[in-house]
Amino acid sequence: MKARPSMHLGVILMLALRNLRRNLRRTILTATAFIIGGALLTFAQAFGDGTHEQWIDSGVRTGSGHVAVEVPGFRVSRKIEDRLPGGTLRLVRTAVDSSAAADRVTDVFYRLTINGLATSASGARPAQVLGVDPTIEASLSPLDEQVVEGRYLKKDDRLAAYVGAGLVDALDLRLGSRLVVMAQDAHKEVAGQLVRVVGIFRSGIPGLDDSVIHVPIATAGEWLGTGSDVTNIGVMVDDSRAVPGLLRHLRRELGEPIGKGEAAVMGWREAMPSLHAAVLVDEWGAYLMLGILFVIVGFSIINTVLMSVLHRHREFGVLQALGLTPRQTGSVVLVEGLLQTVVCAILGVGVGLGLVAALSGGIDISEIAGGMEDMQVTGVAIDPVIVPMVTPVRVLYILGFMMLVGVVSSVYPAMRAATIDVTESMKFER
Amino acid sequence: MSESNGYAVRTAGVWKIFQQEAEEVQAVRDVSLTIGRGEFTALAGPSGSGKTTLLNLIGGLTRPTRGEIWVAGSELGALSNRELAQLRLEQVGFVFQAYNLLPVLTALENAEFPMLLQGVPAAERSERIRELFDRTGMTGLEDRRPGKLSGGQQQRVAVVRAVASQPALVLADEPTANLDSHASEALLDMMAELNRELGVTFVFATHDGHVMERSRRLVRMVDGAIDSDETRS
Ligand SMILES: Nc1ncnc2c1ncn2[C@@H]1O[C@H](COP(=O)(O)OP(=O)(O)OP(=O)(O)O)[C@@H](O)[C@H]1O
Ligand SMILES: [Mg+2]
Repeated sequence: MKARPSMHLGVILMLALRNLRRNLRRTILTATAFIIGGALLTFAQAFGDGTHEQWIDSGVRTGSGHVAVEVPGFRVSRKIEDRLPGGTLRLVRTAVDSSAAADRVTDVFYRLTINGLATSASGARPAQVLGVDPTIEASLSPLDEQVVEGRYLKKDDRLAAYVGAGLVDALDLRLGSRLVVMAQDAHKEVAGQLVRVVGIFRSGIPGLDDSVIHVPIATAGEWLGTGSDVTNIGVMVDDSRAVPGLLRHLRRELGEPIGKGEAAVMGWREAMPSLHAAVLVDEWGAYLMLGILFVIVGFSIINTVLMSVLHRHREFGVLQALGLTPRQTGSVVLVEGLLQTVVCAILGVGVGLGLVAALSGGIDISEIAGGMEDMQVTGVAIDPVIVPMVTPVRVLYILGFMMLVGVVSSVYPAMRAATIDVTESMKFER
Repeated sequence: MSESNGYAVRTAGVWKIFQQEAEEVQAVRDVSLTIGRGEFTALAGPSGSGKTTLLNLIGGLTRPTRGEIWVAGSELGALSNRELAQLRLEQVGFVFQAYNLLPVLTALENAEFPMLLQGVPAAERSERIRELFDRTGMTGLEDRRPGKLSGGQQQRVAVVRAVASQPALVLADEPTANLDSHASEALLDMMAELNRELGVTFVFATHDGHVMERSRRLVRMVDGAIDSDETRS
């Protein structure tokens, strides 16, 4: 007897292909489930990633920027004595220009954040007064577009204030009204400043509408004796994936003030932990949903393949009688399953990517959400147009995941096919 | 074909005991049997007498509880499952009662399947199949799927498949049981001719009087043991 250690791979492949073709309806059904599943998965992930990018983008615009530079203690104290040393802004700008991510950077903005009091003839309310550069802020923050009366701050405004609608109501103000903002100044004395309401905004977010006042940073500097100093510098990029590199670069370039404890550089995750948490919770929620979806798809595949294995015991018996080993017999089923799931995983992801490409202009979810005009995530107003986003790593993950489901749901029926009792399968009922 | 020592199969003191719940079933009891090359042998006996079990033991589809079996010089107990599969591929052809064929393959593909596994070159494969199809009156039906063949035609393809790979022996378990008398007569003619002219060794398990009449050696089994063994001239 000749020893021929052949795996019969060609024959196994041929049988698998023939079987897929013979059971065309079953094949198409399983394939369709897998392709639709893959397309959904890909699109849902791209949509989710796009949504989160949108959240992050909106969040960092009103908040800290993708990368924030502050004095380490400021986050807790919120006091203006925790200002950045003069010249930090120039340092940041130079560093940004020399970074590898320079062409990803869209804006560098700065603010003087003041916790104070707003008073009018009708009363007083705590207020968060932001000294801003009107030009930069207008191009950056969504707040200027949420004007309900008047206008946003302009370049040469002096004693102007842009006030949240809630605060306007509480203080019984109207367009053109005067109010006094009060806070501790650079010399730890309480100082007041008279400003006039030039614009009223409504973001739909109580935290903002009830307390935020924008004033020109020059006015704030004079009022509090802080000159051109700022408490926050923010750097915006066009894609949040550029953040880690930029962060490393800025930390290196600002090594000196950081070493002296005069400045800290942090990413949006650190600067806006609640936004980060919201993104994570949403991502894991999606993973869970999709995981469940795929367990269902996987089980339905296992089920259909198992049913067919059950009906084919005799065929597997014949194969073994003809000289295949049990393992080779099982691999006929395995190869059938793999051929189908691997090909369909690729097709499904392809369809999903096509869908993403077709909708790369963005999807306005305010229509879908049915008149939900004000959207917010952890106190951040969100642009309702979502642009689905795909990354190669994500695509690889999805392909890997689907193939895993495919392999797992093929292996079990294959094992069943490999362990049939041959003599039993060849019996005839009489 | 294997160059073995005069016999195609030898069994020595073979037992097969099935454990069924508390009961044990002695399906094959102490069978010692030698079948020479080129024999045309029928195993007969009442239902449940162990014919199928013995064929499955000889073909290496199941292992004996006790005893030894040689096929074409190899003792089956010494072989791994993989080697046993290889032995089936090289040395044993099977024909079962019905549904022998792989439904996704055509008659021709079914017939040449073992040769494909053996790695026989395409030219030689088609040469052997053409000759055997010609001998068995199957010419013209090469491209039909099993579902489009009659029971008799399917059994012919099964016999061609069993013979074409040139095994040491062909084991046929009730090959005529699902055929009418005309078709079963024709199948028997065909196997007798292959035996006579090509020297293929056949061992049948059968209830069929025709098969018993046509065989040159008749081994009768009762309750798993050999009851009688006659060779006719
Ligand atoms: N897998 C098994 N488990 C338990 N008992 C079995 C098994 N296979 C066969 N038997 C028993 O072994 C005995 C012999 O069965 P076998 O099928 O070999 O008989 P047979 O002579 O081929 O019968 P038939 O003419 O009906 O085909 C019977 O009593 C049968 O019930
Ligand atoms: Mg039987």
